[in-house]
Amino acid sequence: MNRIWKEGRLVLVAIPLLLWTLIPIYHLLVMAITPKSETFAGELWPKQPTIENFGIVIHQGHYYLEHFWIQFANSAFVAVMVCLLTLAIASAATFAISRLRVRGGVFVSNLALATYLVPPAFLAIPMYKVMANYELLNTQWALILTMVTFASPYAIWVLKQYADKLPYELDEAARIDGAGPMQIFRLVYLPLMVPCLVAVGTYALLLAWNEYLYAFLMLSSETETTLAVALGQFLSGDEAPWNLLMATGMVYALPPAVIYYVFRRYMVSGLTAGAVKS
Amino acid sequence: MASVNIEAVRKRYGALEVIHGIDIDIPDGEFVVLVGPSGCGKSTLLRMIAGLEEISEGVIRIGERKVNDVPPKDRDIAMVFQNYALYPHMTVRENMGFSLKLRKAERKVIEERVKRAAEILGLGPLLDRYPKQLSGGQRQRVAMGRAIVRSPHVFLFDEPLSNLDAKLRVQMRTEIKALHQQLKTTSIYVTHDQIEAMTMADRIVVMHDGIVEQIGSPIELYDTPANIFVAGFIGSPAINLVSGVLRRNGNRNWVATEAGIDLPLGEVKAGQDGQPVVYGIRPEHLVPANGQGLPVKVEVVEPTGASTFVYADLSGAQICGVFTERHGFHPGSTIHLMPQMDRVHLFDSKTGQRLSA
Repeated sequence: MNRIWKEGRLVLVAIPLLLWTLIPIYHLLVMAITPKSETFAGELWPKQPTIENFGIVIHQGHYYLEHFWIQFANSAFVAVMVCLLTLAIASAATFAISRLRVRGGVFVSNLALATYLVPPAFLAIPMYKVMANYELLNTQWALILTMVTFASPYAIWVLKQYADKLPYELDEAARIDGAGPMQIFRLVYLPLMVPCLVAVGTYALLLAWNEYLYAFLMLSSETETTLAVALGQFLSGDEAPWNLLMATGMVYALPPAVIYYVFRRYMVSGLTAGAVKS
Repeated sequence: MASVNIEAVRKRYGALEVIHGIDIDIPDGEFVVLVGPSGCGKSTLLRMIAGLEEISEGVIRIGERKVNDVPPKDRDIAMVFQNYALYPHMTVRENMGFSLKLRKAERKVIEERVKRAAEILGLGPLLDRYPKQLSGGQRQRVAMGRAIVRSPHVFLFDEPLSNLDAKLRVQMRTEIKALHQQLKTTSIYVTHDQIEAMTMADRIVVMHDGIVEQIGSPIELYDTPANIFVAGFIGSPAINLVSGVLRRNGNRNWVATEAGIDLPLGEVKAGQDGQPVVYGIRPEHLVPANGQGLPVKVEVVEPTGASTFVYADLSGAQICGVFTERHGFHPGSTIHLMPQMDRVHLFDSKTGQRLSA
């Protein structure tokens, strides 16, 4: 009886949570497979479901979708570069802080976390100015560097928690075996950090893939901008093609879903690694 | 192979000095055990020899070379850690070959030497496994294998057996000793376990609070401990120590305890009448005597089969006796024990140093 009550309560919590998550996706799907004429018919399921909308997206068959594949590639390029740069910076930083035990390292890692006290939106204008000074505006590097700046502190924090748990004797054994700091980094540290690097890399990748505000600010030409900004452009006219917007949205949401699914094992362990300050 | 010389070595962390000037000479090929309670500085000293800790003062030489400023990888040493420190992402083969790979040895040479080390340690069938697929004893062997593939000048062991269960510990103890007899490489072994020290060492260095209390062969330390600390630390069950005052009267010497017991002594060279002393006698040097000797009240009897431990009360002092014969003592009964006079140790109460030879 007690058990039924306990599980019943869990189900009561789970149902609203599930609906909360699934209803927007349901809307997305329904509109994406609805023909244009029925867009606002208000049906729970379209009378004549169609995949025609996806065909228009893939063949760039609409005014708003003229540069779809370039923008998709832009998004991918930005996300991958942010991921790689963040991993390079964060793994080198945590190696120095946690393994080489550089003086002041712990202070730096705490300071990095303190940067999250300032919401990223507050920094939009300063960042814009910085990128303007370096003449990077309307290049993808402006967005990449900005996103790396925002992703790195968290990445350092999570990697440091994980790195601190690797036994220090491994480094000492490697030193006695004849390894220098670069060899320890490459041959001992990085291979052991793989699960956490995957988790943090996925985080940085998705952060950049999902970014709207900074992409909108930094990139102005249609062939430079990312898919997130392009989706926003759908609403710039009087008559928005909602069904195409939703179809593009589904395509846009697919890569993150796949990445989450493939790396889900690492995500759980990686994200909980930073959960408790040990 | 090489000798190791430690001269007036000190270690300070800021203002705190943890090692107060240590001198040890280790000849080539010797197996030396550093033993002492936790916090005595034995591991720190070993890590200074390895190059993992800086030497605050003094000189350490390996062979003829002063190594104070030589990085660990150039000291030609190998170290076995307490928690094995095997690289989890490498197979046994890769773990053992890692140091040679870093030294850019040829693949054939690495293969050859890993194979030979694996044969010596019986690791042949395990070469392609990962550390997590091995038992504790196997991991310990891999850690030793990693050390011997390099044929270093010196082996350093930092409590290598303390993570193993009791049975395996005894077995590995024998294996390490046999390995040393085969390879004859100078070895420095740190442990807090005096039985390990006694059974494995050519010479034991007893450390306490950052100083060396005594250096000697296991039997020397056991038979002629230099002070109360060494007497109490070496030997199990521990030596009986009773405080009293030295009495000399013509040919007759004894120690009078506060409780009014006279502890018999043989010939005593040092010490004056009236000097406060500590009287030490090992449990196995107490002999049951009918009506003579010290009257003690039996409290606990522990038969182990080979011998029997008897814990008894001597007017307030606890005394332990070990007997190989089966006397059938009972708790509560009073028996008489006679110390073997030539086995008595006498220490100065104030300095703790040994008085009699």
